[in-house]
Amino acid sequence: MEEQLSLLELVWNASFTVQLVMVILLLASIFSWYMIANRYLYFRNANDEMYRFEERFWSGIDLSQLYREGSEKGSDGSVILGMESIFRAGFKEFSRLAQQPEMDSEAVIEGSRRAMRVAVMREEERLERHLAFLASVGSTSPYIGLFGTVWGIMHSFRGLANSTQATLATVAPGISEALVATAMGLFAAIPAVLAYNRFASRVEVLSNRYDTFVDEFSGILYRQAFALRSREKKSV
Amino acid sequence: MTTSLYAKPVMPRIIVRPALVTLLIHGVLLYVLMTNWDASDRDIIRVKPAPNVINARLVDVSEISKPKPAPVKPRVVTVKPKPNPKPMPPKPRVAVSKLKPEKPMQKPVPKTKPPPAKPVPNQRSSRDILAAIVRDELASVDAQAQATETADEMSASFVSLIKRTVVRSWSRPPSARNGMECELSIQLIPTGEVVSVKLIRSSGNSAFDRSAINAVEKASAFPELRKLPSREFEKNFRRLTLIFKPEDLRY
Repeated sequence: MEEQLSLLELVWNASFTVQLVMVILLLASIFSWYMIANRYLYFRNANDEMYRFEERFWSGIDLSQLYREGSEKGSDGSVILGMESIFRAGFKEFSRLAQQPEMDSEAVIEGSRRAMRVAVMREEERLERHLAFLASVGSTSPYIGLFGTVWGIMHSFRGLANSTQATLATVAPGISEALVATAMGLFAAIPAVLAYNRFASRVEVLSNRYDTFVDEFSGILYRQAFALRSREKKSV
Repeated sequence: MTTSLYAKPVMPRIIVRPALVTLLIHGVLLYVLMTNWDASDRDIIRVKPAPNVINARLVDVSEISKPKPAPVKPRVVTVKPKPNPKPMPPKPRVAVSKLKPEKPMQKPVPKTKPPPAKPVPNQRSSRDILAAIVRDELASVDAQAQATETADEMSASFVSLIKRTVVRSWSRPPSARNGMECELSIQLIPTGEVVSVKLIRSSGNSAFDRSAINAVEKASAFPELRKLPSREFEKNFRRLTLIFKPEDLRY
Protein backbone atom coordinates (compact mmCIF):
# COMPACT_ATOMS: atom_id res chain seq x y z
CA MET A 1 0.00 0.00 0.00
CA GLU A 2 1.89 3.03 1.21
CA GLU A 3 5.15 1.27 1.31
CA GLN A 4 6.37 2.99 -1.79
CA LEU A 5 6.24 6.73 -1.70
CA SER A 6 5.89 7.87 -5.21
CA LEU A 7 6.42 11.52 -5.89
CA LEU A 8 2.96 11.95 -7.31
CA GLU A 9 1.35 10.30 -4.35
CA LEU A 10 3.28 12.54 -2.04
CA VAL A 11 2.04 15.62 -3.82
CA TRP A 12 -1.45 14.26 -4.17
CA ASN A 13 -1.86 13.35 -0.53
CA ALA A 14 -0.43 16.58 0.79
CA SER A 15 -2.64 18.86 2.78
CA PHE A 16 -4.44 21.66 1.02
CA THR A 17 -2.13 24.43 2.14
CA VAL A 18 0.94 22.55 1.06
CA GLN A 19 -0.68 21.78 -2.26
CA LEU A 20 -1.52 25.43 -2.73
CA VAL A 21 2.07 26.36 -2.01
CA MET A 22 3.22 23.77 -4.51
CA VAL A 23 0.92 25.08 -7.19
CA ILE A 24 2.14 28.64 -6.62
CA LEU A 25 5.72 27.52 -6.81
CA LEU A 26 5.11 25.48 -9.92
CA LEU A 27 3.55 28.50 -11.60
CA ALA A 28 6.41 30.69 -10.44
CA SER A 29 8.88 28.23 -11.82
CA ILE A 30 7.07 27.95 -15.15
CA PHE A 31 6.76 31.70 -15.57
CA SER A 32 10.29 32.42 -14.52
CA TRP A 33 11.66 29.85 -16.93
CA TYR A 34 9.52 31.33 -19.66
CA MET A 35 10.91 34.74 -18.91
CA ILE A 36 14.44 33.51 -18.64
CA ALA A 37 14.22 32.02 -22.11
CA ASN A 38 12.43 35.07 -23.42
CA ARG A 39 15.02 37.44 -22.00
CA TYR A 40 17.84 35.27 -23.17
CA LEU A 41 16.62 35.41 -26.75
CA TYR A 42 15.86 39.10 -26.49
CA PHE A 43 19.31 39.96 -25.20
CA ARG A 44 20.95 37.85 -27.81
CA ASN A 45 18.98 39.64 -30.51
CA ALA A 46 19.75 43.03 -29.00
CA ASN A 47 23.44 42.24 -28.90
CA ASP A 48 23.51 41.01 -32.48
CA GLU A 49 21.55 44.02 -33.68
CA MET A 50 23.85 46.35 -31.85
CA TYR A 51 27.02 44.96 -33.38
CA ARG A 52 25.51 44.86 -36.82
CA PHE A 53 24.28 48.41 -36.58
CA GLU A 54 27.51 49.78 -35.16
CA GLU A 55 29.47 48.20 -37.93
CA ARG A 56 27.12 49.68 -40.47
CA PHE A 57 27.13 53.07 -38.79
CA TRP A 58 30.89 53.41 -38.72
CA SER A 59 31.37 52.01 -42.20
CA GLY A 60 31.18 55.57 -43.56
CA ILE A 61 27.70 55.23 -44.96
CA ASP A 62 25.67 58.36 -45.53
CA LEU A 63 23.48 58.82 -42.46
CA SER A 64 20.34 59.76 -44.35
CA GLN A 65 20.85 56.63 -46.40
CA LEU A 66 21.05 54.62 -43.20
CA TYR A 67 17.88 56.30 -41.99
CA ARG A 68 16.05 55.42 -45.18
CA GLU A 69 17.14 51.80 -44.92
CA GLY A 70 15.73 51.72 -41.44
CA SER A 71 12.42 53.13 -42.63
CA GLU A 72 12.17 50.44 -45.27
CA LYS A 73 12.84 47.81 -42.66
CA GLY A 74 10.22 49.34 -40.41
CA SER A 75 7.62 49.38 -43.14
CA ASP A 76 8.25 45.67 -43.69
CA GLY A 77 6.76 45.11 -40.30
CA SER A 78 9.87 44.30 -38.31
CA VAL A 79 10.37 46.21 -35.10
CA ILE A 80 13.38 48.48 -34.88
CA LEU A 81 15.15 48.04 -31.60
CA GLY A 82 18.21 48.98 -29.73
CA MET A 83 20.85 51.25 -31.08
CA GLU A 84 19.12 51.74 -34.37
CA SER A 85 16.00 53.15 -32.79
CA ILE A 86 18.15 55.59 -30.81
CA PHE A 87 19.86 56.64 -33.99
CA ARG A 88 16.57 57.11 -35.77
CA ALA A 89 15.09 59.15 -32.95
CA GLY A 90 18.11 61.44 -32.86
CA PHE A 91 18.44 61.77 -36.58
CA LYS A 92 14.79 62.47 -37.17
CA GLU A 93 14.70 65.15 -34.51
CA PHE A 94 17.88 66.64 -35.92
CA SER A 95 16.63 66.83 -39.48
CA ARG A 96 13.30 68.22 -38.37
CA LEU A 97 14.90 70.95 -36.28
CA ALA A 98 17.59 71.74 -38.84
CA GLN A 99 14.91 72.60 -41.38
CA GLN A 100 13.69 75.43 -39.21
CA PRO A 101 16.04 78.30 -39.94
CA GLU A 102 15.24 80.19 -36.77
CA MET A 103 16.75 77.42 -34.59
CA ASP A 104 20.42 77.92 -33.90
CA SER A 105 22.79 74.98 -33.90
CA GLU A 106 22.91 74.62 -30.08
CA ALA A 107 19.16 74.27 -29.91
CA VAL A 108 19.15 71.71 -32.71
CA ILE A 109 21.75 69.58 -30.93
CA GLU A 110 19.98 69.95 -27.63
CA GLY A 111 16.71 68.82 -29.18
CA SER A 112 18.16 65.78 -30.85
CA ARG A 113 20.03 64.80 -27.70
CA ARG A 114 16.79 64.94 -25.79
CA ALA A 115 15.08 62.75 -28.34
CA MET A 116 17.90 60.26 -28.10
CA ARG A 117 17.76 60.24 -24.33
CA VAL A 118 14.09 59.41 -24.49
CA ALA A 119 14.83 56.60 -26.92
CA VAL A 120 17.53 55.25 -24.60
CA MET A 121 15.04 55.28 -21.76
CA ARG A 122 12.63 53.31 -23.84
CA GLU A 123 15.29 50.83 -24.75
CA GLU A 124 16.22 50.34 -21.15
CA GLU A 125 12.63 49.86 -20.27
CA ARG A 126 12.39 47.14 -22.86
CA LEU A 127 15.54 45.50 -21.64
CA GLU A 128 14.50 45.53 -18.03
CA ARG A 129 11.10 44.11 -18.66
CA HIS A 130 10.34 40.95 -16.65
CA LEU A 131 13.53 41.33 -14.67
CA ALA A 132 11.58 42.52 -11.66
CA PHE A 133 9.52 39.37 -11.85
CA LEU A 134 12.62 37.22 -11.89
CA ALA A 135 14.01 39.10 -8.93
CA SER A 136 10.89 38.65 -6.88
CA VAL A 137 10.60 34.96 -7.76
CA GLY A 138 14.21 34.53 -6.78
CA SER A 139 13.80 36.22 -3.46
CA THR A 140 10.37 35.05 -2.38
CA SER A 141 9.94 31.52 -3.60
CA PRO A 142 12.32 29.98 -1.04
CA TYR A 143 10.20 31.58 1.62
CA ILE A 144 7.00 30.33 0.09
CA GLY A 145 8.48 26.86 -0.07
CA LEU A 146 9.66 27.15 3.49
CA PHE A 147 6.21 28.16 4.55
CA GLY A 148 4.78 25.04 2.91
CA THR A 149 7.35 22.90 4.64
CA VAL A 150 6.80 24.38 8.05
CA TRP A 151 3.09 24.02 7.64
CA GLY A 152 3.39 20.40 6.54
CA ILE A 153 5.71 19.51 9.38
CA MET A 154 3.45 21.23 11.86
CA HIS A 155 0.65 19.15 10.52
CA SER A 156 2.45 15.87 10.74
CA PHE A 157 3.64 16.55 14.25
CA ARG A 158 0.14 17.31 15.30
CA GLY A 159 -0.85 13.97 13.85
CA LEU A 160 1.95 12.41 15.85
CA ALA A 161 0.59 13.89 19.04
CA ASN A 162 -2.77 12.30 18.39
CA SER A 163 -1.55 8.85 17.52
CA THR A 164 -0.93 6.48 20.35
CA GLN A 165 2.01 4.69 18.88
CA ALA A 166 4.59 7.17 17.78
CA THR A 167 6.93 5.75 15.23
CA LEU A 168 9.10 7.31 12.63
CA ALA A 169 6.80 5.89 9.99
CA THR A 170 3.90 8.04 11.14
CA VAL A 171 5.75 11.31 10.66
CA ALA A 172 8.08 10.44 7.84
CA PRO A 173 5.60 10.70 4.96
CA GLY A 174 4.34 14.04 6.24
CA ILE A 175 7.82 15.46 6.51
CA SER A 176 8.80 14.07 3.18
CA GLU A 177 5.80 15.65 1.54
CA ALA A 178 6.49 18.92 3.29
CA LEU A 179 10.06 18.96 2.12
CA VAL A 180 8.92 18.67 -1.47
CA ALA A 181 7.65 22.22 -1.08
CA THR A 182 11.08 23.52 -0.10
CA ALA A 183 12.66 21.63 -2.94
CA MET A 184 10.25 23.22 -5.37
CA GLY A 185 10.89 26.65 -3.92
CA LEU A 186 14.60 26.26 -4.38
CA PHE A 187 14.09 24.86 -7.82
CA ALA A 188 12.18 27.96 -8.80
CA ALA A 189 14.46 30.37 -7.00
CA ILE A 190 17.94 29.32 -8.02
CA PRO A 191 17.60 29.77 -11.78
CA ALA A 192 15.65 32.97 -11.25
CA VAL A 193 18.36 34.51 -9.11
CA LEU A 194 21.13 33.41 -11.42
CA ALA A 195 19.28 34.69 -14.45
CA TYR A 196 18.42 37.94 -12.76
CA ASN A 197 22.03 38.67 -11.91
CA ARG A 198 23.19 37.78 -15.36
CA PHE A 199 20.54 39.81 -17.11
CA ALA A 200 20.98 42.79 -14.83
CA SER A 201 24.64 42.95 -15.70
CA ARG A 202 23.81 42.68 -19.37
CA VAL A 203 21.32 45.50 -19.10
CA GLU A 204 24.08 47.54 -17.55
CA VAL A 205 26.47 46.73 -20.36
CA LEU A 206 23.94 47.44 -23.07
CA SER A 207 22.77 50.73 -21.62
CA ASN A 208 26.39 51.85 -21.26
CA ARG A 209 26.89 51.08 -24.90
CA TYR A 210 23.78 53.07 -25.76
CA ASP A 211 24.97 56.06 -23.73
CA THR A 212 28.31 55.94 -25.44
CA PHE A 213 26.62 55.80 -28.77
CA VAL A 214 24.45 58.78 -27.93
CA ASP A 215 27.56 60.82 -27.12
CA GLU A 216 29.35 59.71 -30.23
CA PHE A 217 26.42 60.39 -32.42
CA SER A 218 25.73 63.78 -30.97
CA GLY A 219 29.38 64.65 -31.66
CA ILE A 220 28.74 63.93 -35.30
CA LEU A 221 25.49 65.89 -35.25
CA TYR A 222 27.31 68.80 -33.65
CA ARG A 223 29.74 68.95 -36.49
CA GLN A 224 26.96 68.73 -39.02
CA ALA A 225 24.83 71.35 -37.35
CA PHE A 226 27.60 73.89 -37.23
CA ALA A 227 28.59 73.16 -40.78
CA LEU A 228 24.98 73.55 -41.85
CA ARG A 229 24.45 76.83 -40.08
CA SER A 230 27.70 78.37 -41.26
CA ARG A 231 26.84 77.36 -44.85
CA GLU A 232 23.44 78.97 -44.45
CA LYS A 233 25.03 82.13 -43.08
CA LYS A 234 27.42 82.28 -46.00
CA SER A 235 24.67 81.78 -48.53
CA VAL A 236 22.48 84.43 -46.91
CA MET B 1 7.34 55.22 -37.05
CA THR B 2 6.40 58.07 -34.76
CA THR B 3 3.62 56.11 -33.22
CA SER B 4 5.71 53.07 -32.48
CA LEU B 5 8.44 55.02 -30.81
CA TYR B 6 6.37 57.02 -28.41
CA ALA B 7 3.50 54.67 -27.84
CA LYS B 8 3.59 51.69 -25.57
CA PRO B 9 6.91 50.00 -26.05
CA VAL B 10 6.72 47.57 -28.89
CA MET B 11 8.08 44.22 -27.95
CA PRO B 12 9.21 41.78 -30.54
CA ARG B 13 7.16 38.63 -30.33
CA ILE B 14 9.27 36.04 -28.61
CA ILE B 15 6.76 33.56 -27.35
CA VAL B 16 6.98 30.15 -28.91
CA ARG B 17 10.56 29.27 -28.19
CA PRO B 18 10.53 30.28 -24.52
CA ALA B 19 7.30 28.36 -24.06
CA LEU B 20 8.86 25.28 -25.62
CA VAL B 21 11.97 25.62 -23.52
CA THR B 22 9.90 25.98 -20.38
CA LEU B 23 7.81 22.94 -21.15
CA LEU B 24 10.87 20.94 -22.04
CA ILE B 25 12.71 21.78 -18.85
CA HIS B 26 9.81 21.00 -16.60
CA GLY B 27 8.94 17.86 -18.53
CA VAL B 28 12.48 16.54 -18.34
CA LEU B 29 12.74 17.37 -14.68
CA LEU B 30 9.47 15.66 -13.90
CA TYR B 31 10.44 12.62 -15.92
CA VAL B 32 13.83 12.31 -14.25
CA LEU B 33 12.32 12.70 -10.83
CA MET B 34 9.61 10.16 -11.44
CA THR B 35 11.84 7.53 -12.93
CA ASN B 36 14.59 7.90 -10.38
CA TRP B 37 12.17 8.01 -7.57
CA ASP B 38 10.44 4.87 -8.67
CA ALA B 39 13.55 3.09 -9.78
CA SER B 40 15.08 3.08 -6.35
CA ASP B 41 11.97 1.46 -4.99
CA ARG B 42 11.20 -0.77 -7.88
CA ASP B 43 14.58 -2.35 -7.62
CA ILE B 44 13.83 -3.63 -4.21
CA ILE B 45 10.41 -4.75 -5.19
CA ARG B 46 11.53 -6.56 -8.27
CA VAL B 47 13.91 -8.71 -6.31
CA LYS B 48 11.30 -9.50 -3.76
CA PRO B 49 10.41 -12.74 -5.43
CA ALA B 50 14.06 -13.67 -5.45
CA PRO B 51 13.98 -14.97 -1.90
CA ASN B 52 11.43 -17.30 -3.38
CA VAL B 53 8.62 -16.55 -1.02
CA ILE B 54 9.42 -18.33 2.10
CA ASN B 55 6.94 -21.02 2.76
CA ALA B 56 6.92 -21.14 6.45
CA ARG B 57 6.00 -24.73 6.72
CA LEU B 58 6.65 -26.40 9.96
CA VAL B 59 9.06 -29.07 9.14
CA ASP B 60 12.41 -30.41 9.22
CA VAL B 61 14.78 -28.79 11.53
CA SER B 62 15.35 -32.39 12.33
CA GLU B 63 16.47 -33.17 8.88
CA ILE B 64 19.40 -30.89 9.18
CA SER B 65 20.98 -32.94 11.84
CA LYS B 66 20.84 -36.00 9.63
CA PRO B 67 23.74 -37.07 7.53
CA LYS B 68 23.35 -35.60 4.13
CA PRO B 69 23.19 -38.53 1.77
CA ALA B 70 20.94 -40.54 3.98
CA PRO B 71 17.81 -38.43 3.64
CA VAL B 72 18.25 -37.89 -0.03
CA LYS B 73 18.33 -41.41 -1.22
CA PRO B 74 15.22 -42.85 0.30
CA ARG B 75 13.20 -39.87 -0.76
CA VAL B 76 14.47 -40.03 -4.25
CA VAL B 77 12.90 -43.24 -5.05
CA THR B 78 9.68 -42.81 -3.25
CA VAL B 79 8.05 -39.46 -3.28
CA LYS B 80 9.43 -37.55 -6.12
CA PRO B 81 6.42 -35.38 -6.92
CA LYS B 82 5.71 -34.60 -3.31
CA PRO B 83 8.54 -32.83 -1.59
CA ASN B 84 9.03 -34.34 1.74
CA PRO B 85 7.85 -31.62 4.08
CA LYS B 86 4.21 -32.17 3.40
CA PRO B 87 3.88 -35.84 4.25
CA MET B 88 5.51 -35.06 7.52
CA PRO B 89 3.56 -35.67 10.66
CA PRO B 90 1.12 -32.92 11.48
CA LYS B 91 2.96 -31.86 14.57
CA PRO B 92 3.02 -28.14 14.18
CA ARG B 93 5.70 -27.28 16.70
CA VAL B 94 9.12 -27.39 15.38
CA ALA B 95 10.47 -27.95 18.79
CA VAL B 96 8.44 -31.06 19.02
CA SER B 97 9.33 -32.41 15.69
CA LYS B 98 12.93 -32.07 16.63
CA LEU B 99 12.42 -34.72 19.17
CA LYS B 100 11.33 -37.20 16.58
CA PRO B 101 13.82 -36.95 13.86
CA GLU B 102 13.45 -40.53 12.83
CA LYS B 103 9.82 -40.56 11.98
CA PRO B 104 9.87 -38.92 8.62
CA MET B 105 12.71 -41.14 7.67
CA GLN B 106 11.14 -44.32 8.71
CA LYS B 107 7.95 -43.78 6.90
CA PRO B 108 9.52 -43.48 3.52
CA VAL B 109 11.86 -46.33 4.13
CA PRO B 110 9.36 -49.15 3.94
CA LYS B 111 8.07 -47.76 0.69
CA THR B 112 11.54 -47.59 -0.67
CA LYS B 113 12.01 -51.23 -0.43
CA PRO B 114 10.26 -52.22 -3.65
CA PRO B 115 11.64 -49.65 -6.08
CA PRO B 116 15.39 -50.09 -5.63
CA ALA B 117 15.19 -52.40 -8.58
CA LYS B 118 14.42 -49.47 -10.79
CA PRO B 119 16.85 -48.60 -13.56
CA VAL B 120 19.77 -46.56 -12.46
CA PRO B 121 19.51 -43.54 -14.80
CA ASN B 122 16.01 -42.81 -13.64
CA GLN B 123 17.18 -42.79 -10.14
CA ARG B 124 19.93 -40.40 -10.88
CA SER B 125 17.81 -37.90 -12.73
CA SER B 126 15.18 -37.83 -10.06
CA ARG B 127 17.87 -37.44 -7.54
CA ASP B 128 19.05 -34.35 -9.31
CA ILE B 129 15.63 -32.85 -9.18
CA LEU B 130 15.22 -33.58 -5.57
CA ALA B 131 18.63 -32.31 -4.82
CA ALA B 132 17.55 -29.00 -6.19
CA ILE B 133 14.49 -29.05 -4.02
CA VAL B 134 16.32 -29.77 -0.82
CA ARG B 135 19.24 -27.58 -1.59
CA ASP B 136 17.88 -24.84 0.58
CA GLU B 137 18.15 -26.87 3.68
CA LEU B 138 21.38 -28.52 2.83
CA ALA B 139 23.05 -25.34 1.79
CA SER B 140 22.54 -23.83 5.16
CA VAL B 141 24.07 -26.83 6.86
CA ASP B 142 27.34 -26.78 5.08
CA ALA B 143 27.54 -23.09 4.44
CA GLN B 144 31.00 -23.07 5.86
CA ALA B 145 32.14 -25.86 3.64
CA GLN B 146 30.89 -24.22 0.53
CA ALA B 147 32.79 -21.04 0.95
CA THR B 148 33.05 -20.77 -2.77
CA GLU B 149 29.38 -21.15 -3.56
CA THR B 150 27.79 -18.58 -5.77
CA ALA B 151 26.00 -15.59 -4.42
CA ASP B 152 22.63 -17.04 -5.30
CA GLU B 153 23.22 -20.17 -3.39
CA MET B 154 24.48 -18.14 -0.53
CA SER B 155 21.41 -15.99 -0.33
CA ALA B 156 19.26 -19.09 -0.68
CA SER B 157 20.95 -20.54 2.34
CA PHE B 158 20.33 -17.38 4.28
CA VAL B 159 16.73 -17.47 3.23
CA SER B 160 16.32 -20.92 4.62
CA LEU B 161 18.05 -19.85 7.75
CA ILE B 162 15.64 -16.99 8.21
CA LYS B 163 12.83 -19.35 7.53
CA ARG B 164 13.94 -21.77 10.15
CA THR B 165 14.43 -19.11 12.76
CA VAL B 166 11.03 -17.68 12.13
CA VAL B 167 9.31 -21.03 12.11
CA ARG B 168 10.93 -21.91 15.37
CA SER B 169 9.41 -18.93 17.08
CA TRP B 170 6.04 -19.31 15.48
CA SER B 171 3.27 -20.51 17.70
CA ARG B 172 0.01 -20.69 15.94
CA PRO B 173 -3.34 -19.95 17.41
CA PRO B 174 -5.83 -22.77 17.69
CA SER B 175 -7.99 -21.05 15.13
CA ALA B 176 -5.42 -21.62 12.39
CA ARG B 177 -6.87 -23.55 9.50
CA ASN B 178 -5.35 -25.17 6.53
CA GLY B 179 -6.13 -22.78 3.72
CA MET B 180 -5.02 -19.70 5.56
CA GLU B 181 -2.24 -17.65 4.21
CA CYS B 182 -0.87 -14.32 5.23
CA GLU B 183 1.91 -12.31 3.77
CA LEU B 184 4.32 -10.16 5.73
CA SER B 185 6.87 -7.71 4.48
CA ILE B 186 9.82 -7.35 6.76
CA GLN B 187 12.60 -4.86 6.58
CA LEU B 188 16.09 -5.77 7.65
CA ILE B 189 19.21 -3.80 8.25
CA PRO B 190 22.67 -5.12 7.49
CA THR B 191 23.29 -6.21 11.04
CA GLY B 192 20.42 -8.64 10.59
CA GLU B 193 17.98 -6.89 12.84
CA VAL B 194 14.37 -6.59 11.87
CA VAL B 195 13.35 -2.96 11.77
CA SER B 196 9.79 -3.28 10.66
CA VAL B 197 7.17 -5.89 10.05
CA LYS B 198 4.17 -5.09 7.96
CA LEU B 199 1.15 -7.13 7.11
CA ILE B 200 0.70 -7.05 3.36
CA ARG B 201 -2.03 -9.59 2.95
CA SER B 202 -4.18 -10.73 5.77
CA SER B 203 -5.38 -14.27 6.11
CA GLY B 204 -8.73 -13.04 7.32
CA ASN B 205 -8.04 -14.32 10.77
CA SER B 206 -6.55 -11.64 12.95
CA ALA B 207 -5.22 -14.07 15.51
CA PHE B 208 -3.35 -15.90 12.82
CA ASP B 209 -1.96 -12.67 11.43
CA ARG B 210 -0.85 -11.60 14.83
CA SER B 211 0.85 -14.90 15.48
CA ALA B 212 2.80 -14.50 12.27
CA ILE B 213 3.86 -10.97 13.13
CA ASN B 214 4.80 -12.10 16.61
CA ALA B 215 6.91 -14.87 15.19
CA VAL B 216 8.96 -12.42 13.21
CA GLU B 217 9.21 -10.01 16.09
CA LYS B 218 10.28 -12.78 18.39
CA ALA B 219 12.96 -13.85 16.00
CA SER B 220 13.89 -10.14 15.91
CA ALA B 221 17.37 -10.57 14.48
CA PHE B 222 19.31 -12.84 12.19
CA PRO B 223 22.86 -12.05 13.16
CA GLU B 224 24.18 -14.45 10.55
CA LEU B 225 23.21 -11.94 7.90
CA ARG B 226 26.21 -9.95 8.89
CA LYS B 227 28.31 -12.38 6.95
CA LEU B 228 26.45 -11.60 3.78
CA PRO B 229 28.22 -9.24 1.38
CA SER B 230 26.45 -5.94 1.46
CA ARG B 231 25.60 -6.00 -2.22
CA GLU B 232 23.73 -9.24 -1.82
CA PHE B 233 22.05 -7.90 1.22
CA GLU B 234 20.83 -4.82 -0.58
CA LYS B 235 19.60 -6.91 -3.44
CA ASN B 236 17.66 -9.54 -1.62
CA PHE B 237 17.35 -8.93 2.04
CA ARG B 238 16.60 -5.29 2.60
CA ARG B 239 12.97 -6.18 2.13
CA LEU B 240 11.73 -9.68 2.46
CA THR B 241 8.35 -11.11 1.88
CA LEU B 242 7.29 -13.99 4.06
CA ILE B 243 4.24 -16.11 3.41
CA PHE B 244 2.86 -18.00 6.32
CA LYS B 245 0.64 -20.98 5.71
CA PRO B 246 -0.07 -23.86 8.00
CA GLU B 247 -0.11 -26.50 5.34
CA ASP B 248 0.47 -29.41 7.58
CA LEU B 249 -2.64 -28.98 9.65
CA ARG B 250 -5.14 -31.67 9.19
CA TYR B 251 -8.28 -29.76 9.85
